[in-house]
Amino acid sequence: MSDNSLMKTLATYDRRWVYLVLFLVVVGPLLRPIGMPISVSPDTKQYYEAINSVEEGDKILFTLNTEFSGYNEIQSGIVATMRVFIEHNTKICVAVGHPEATGIPELVFNQLRSELDANGYVYGEDYVILGYVMPNEASVASMSQDFQGAITQDWLGRSIDDTFLSEIHTWEDWDLIADFTTGLATTYLLNHFALRGTPMTVNCIGVMIASQKPYVDSGVYLAILQSMRGGAELEYLTGHPGPGLTAMDAFTFGHYMLLLFIIAGNIGYYGYTRQQKRGGE
Amino acid sequence: MKMAEILKNRQLQIAVMALAFLLVFVPYFIEVPALEAASTKLITITAIVNAVTLILALQSQVRRGLNIVQRRQTGWYFKAYMIITMVLMVVFAFFGRETGPYHWVMYAVVNPLSSVNYGILAFYMASTAARAFRARNTQAILLLTTGFIVLLYQAPLTGAYAPWLEPIALYFGDTFGMAAGRMFLISVTVGAIVFGVRVLMGKETSVLGVGKEEV
Amino acid sequence: MATPLFQVPLIAEGRLIGLILDILIFALVIYYTSGDKHIYIRRVAGLDAIEEAVGRAAEMGKPVVASYGLGGFTYWTLAGLAILSHVATLSARTGTRLIVPTGGSTESLIVRPVAEEIVKTAYTMEGVPDQYNPDDLPFLSGQQYAYVGGYVGILQRTRPASTIMTGSHWSDAMNIAETSSAVGAITITSGAYISNVAALACASDYILIGEEAPAAGAYLSDDPAQRASIRVQDIFKWIALGCIILGLVLSNMGINLVENLLST
Repeated sequence: MSDNSLMKTLATYDRRWVYLVLFLVVVGPLLRPIGMPISVSPDTKQYYEAINSVEEGDKILFTLNTEFSGYNEIQSGIVATMRVFIEHNTKICVAVGHPEATGIPELVFNQLRSELDANGYVYGEDYVILGYVMPNEASVASMSQDFQGAITQDWLGRSIDDTFLSEIHTWEDWDLIADFTTGLATTYLLNHFALRGTPMTVNCIGVMIASQKPYVDSGVYLAILQSMRGGAELEYLTGHPGPGLTAMDAFTFGHYMLLLFIIAGNIGYYGYTRQQKRGGE
Repeated sequence: MKMAEILKNRQLQIAVMALAFLLVFVPYFIEVPALEAASTKLITITAIVNAVTLILALQSQVRRGLNIVQRRQTGWYFKAYMIITMVLMVVFAFFGRETGPYHWVMYAVVNPLSSVNYGILAFYMASTAARAFRARNTQAILLLTTGFIVLLYQAPLTGAYAPWLEPIALYFGDTFGMAAGRMFLISVTVGAIVFGVRVLMGKETSVLGVGKEEV
Repeated sequence: MATPLFQVPLIAEGRLIGLILDILIFALVIYYTSGDKHIYIRRVAGLDAIEEAVGRAAEMGKPVVASYGLGGFTYWTLAGLAILSHVATLSARTGTRLIVPTGGSTESLIVRPVAEEIVKTAYTMEGVPDQYNPDDLPFLSGQQYAYVGGYVGILQRTRPASTIMTGSHWSDAMNIAETSSAVGAITITSGAYISNVAALACASDYILIGEEAPAAGAYLSDDPAQRASIRVQDIFKWIALGCIILGLVLSNMGINLVENLLST
């Protein structure tokens, strides 16, 4: 291969090469994790402090604004946060913002069965699953202003009258909203709860971070947990390794691969354009 | 005049919209308990109307789907598949959602399919980033350098072995990134309010399902 | 912690300034949309390119794929619908096939009939109602990534000349923009997330940033007064900028006047 064609290849490589190499460098470490060290970002420390400051009996609205798809990116944060809440003996109400997400609480609680048993959690007394109750802004606004008028039963049609939810009337009665989101009803929660004064934390997918961070800085959110990496860091802080930490090796390799492609592309671009210029002269 | 025609009247639609707006907007700022109660009631009614609208929309989809199947149009079998699975899921739900066929479809079909589709996003992101970061000019070089540092920091291993990179990467996010984020929020919010006023004035007719020429 | 400067009876605490600003926006929009005001508005490349995109499709004899997002009735969706109305009019005028993939969320089911009405009206207004084909507005799915699968499939099968993706497209936006670019279509997008904007800027030919999308309806309007209402956005951005600078200076001097004023 001549210098010219090598540079051209580097500058204009087919995107399918990126797909193939990314697939290989991600699958390898997922099948055989290495356990490389990770650092913990200041945002995750702040998030950990926020969720760790809940007290026994605090009423927490645990919102899953994700489908199964996005759940994979933030499940480590969901499970690790839920574990902290259970260990603090809080009262947890799970609400979801997508019909598909009605299947997610089961996945979460199945991973935390021993913690639930160890802390004597009883459905109805200590936790309730509401199901798909946040389809649109009107529903969330209604939950914020007149909870009893909006919600009368859990996701399987059982009355919530005899549960801790009978004490909830407006946004003021929640001690914390822990939101896990791919972007569905989070803006509604922000408008009708957080901006009115309900403490709120958020764990979002990577593409949302830049749009959610200003709310942390302005004090509307207590803290933010960033994507899967944040979840892995939280697993590390809570001392319970899970899917997040397992994925971090692949995460690291994926990033390095991308950097290599960028370097190669730029070398090719520089070399090729220089050769083009020389040819022109 | 028929009832349907009266309800489709643009002026009436805009008047209803303006009334609903005032009933939610005013109590947010002005503390009058009676207004607040009315506003809360209206919001609950809206939530219910939304749910009913959804049923109507579903009904219309099924009707449309059946029509395509009957006419044997291109891809009719996909529509048939959609209608069959939709009906099946409703039937399955009656047998319980915690176990049984509904449960199986959710975890063995919907979950993996949804997850795989989402996973593909990473490939698109990677290929776009790899192709877009080219040092074409001064601005691109700045973008490339910043992106490179942030990407390097985002790899968890780098953070562990090169902690000195953290303040640099965070600096970019907390200054330039945050400023851009705030700009975006402010401008979009102002744009949305102005847009809302135009809607209330009946100027944004596309909201009502008509083009500007029709009004 | 900010403390309100004063409290006005009957007005909810901390909302007085918000109320005043809202009333001011109302007044200014009414002022600008009334009468015959001709105000200079900068060109928005993304919106100007729509005409070129549809024209290119007409020349090539290929379809245009346009979507208005996959959310419910949010301002992003409404802005997307305003742009769709324009695209549909241009398509009808030039006899170009317009494909509008719909769906993507449960709420999108409610928006779909409105989109259908908009496209139908555009064809009727252009005098070619028979060219309107309801099958070109397929409902792909109520699930985000099934919708994306369908959308990407349409792009690959029909190889459109242009893709115009506006409204509330979330993480799915990249899949669509990248596929569109791969099939060689002119790609015009708008991002509902700031992070999306960065990624879409790489994958698209033109991008609408921030308030450009909500302003589209007025910008594309033939009515100068309508276009003038966009000026209100600029006025408020100047107010925001003034508050930021003043707040920065004063807070560095240990005075929280701006913070307290905005909390009043």
